[in-house]
Amino acid sequence: MNECTDSNIQEMLPDLLHRTLADNARKRVEAHVATCESCREDLDVLRMVKSAAVFAPSIDVDRVVRQIPPYRTIVPAIERPAGARVVSWLVAASLALVVLGGGSVLMIQSKDSRSSNSAASNQLPNTIATRSEATKHSPAESGIVPKAVVQSIAAPRPHALALAADVDGLSDGNLMQLMNDMDGFDALPASEPEPVISVDSGDSL
Amino acid sequence: MNPSPEGRPEETDLELINRWKAGDSRAATRLVGRHSQALARFAASAGEREGIEELVQDTFVRAFASLDSFRGESTLRTWLFTIERRLMLDRRRSERRSRETVPVEESDHVSEYGALDGLIAEEAQERVRKSLDALSPTQREVFTLRVQQGLSYKEIAEVLGSTEGAARVHYHNAIKTVKEFLKDE
Repeated sequence: MNECTDSNIQEMLPDLLHRTLADNARKRVEAHVATCESCREDLDVLRMVKSAAVFAPSIDVDRVVRQIPPYRTIVPAIERPAGARVVSWLVAASLALVVLGGGSVLMIQSKDSRSSNSAASNQLPNTIATRSEATKHSPAESGIVPKAVVQSIAAPRPHALALAADVDGLSDGNLMQLMNDMDGFDALPASEPEPVISVDSGDSL
Repeated sequence: MNPSPEGRPEETDLELINRWKAGDSRAATRLVGRHSQALARFAASAGEREGIEELVQDTFVRAFASLDSFRGESTLRTWLFTIERRLMLDRRRSERRSRETVPVEESDHVSEYGALDGLIAEEAQERVRKSLDALSPTQREVFTLRVQQGLSYKEIAEVLGSTEGAARVHYHNAIKTVKEFLKDE
């Protein structure tokens, strides 16, 4: 017996068995099978396989259905309207913008404060010298500025400032150390010399 | 739409799904009744020997739990076969793992297999079962889905997550093997 070479027909044989072919296709396949021994043999095998599919156990439908939970308890997700979702995205984007922008501003301010700190440390000798002058001609003595204010201005400075009084005599290494100490000195105000200026202006009066 | 025994047109799967979603539990009974035997046959012919009813039950529970994801692009039965096949693969994987760790006891062989064998009354059916056992797992799945369930190659490709071309090749190889096996018997 020759094997059939029409693979299209061979592939349609199960459809012939299940009667799912359209009329034209069914007639074509039936006409072919009538003349092709190989396809007839295939069809016999397929019939046998199809009818042999009876050994599966029967299923208790009610038992299966009892295990299925009702629809509402399975799907609790609430679909929000598209407009609400757009608003949520806009709010999220605005918040992200605020956070990023705020972060940038803080970074810039932090840089500025460092550079002004280092500038202040460069001016320290002069400032302190001016203070010394100011205390010599104390406005408290002349009665222009209250004594308590003058005392607060002339109060002993932290360690770094005390060192800075003799900054001209420092080596490069010590100067670097001082600068580093100043960087880490958070309590130092960004614009410190104001009280001194007020003392100076008191002098000019 | 096929007429029901009472003469009314048979409801489609999608109509029954909508009725079930609306709270009609009888629609679930109709759907399970319509597809459960096909699922059981597929499981049996794919080589499952134990717990076929549990497998079919799990398939329906999973399917009903995710019915919202069923878009009706394939038939409900094809979709159910896909779920069942995934469950069978999971089950085989876990069985393989347990076989690697737990020694097989003599009593493990006493199973539903014997009961199933009892159902195979005719010699021809036994021969067919043996011929199917000679196929590779994928060939057997393709062949039984095509011949016993009447699925198209496109639907088989969906169930297997493969291509139509691959399904056709598996079918041709399978029928050749089965034919030769039955000739030699």
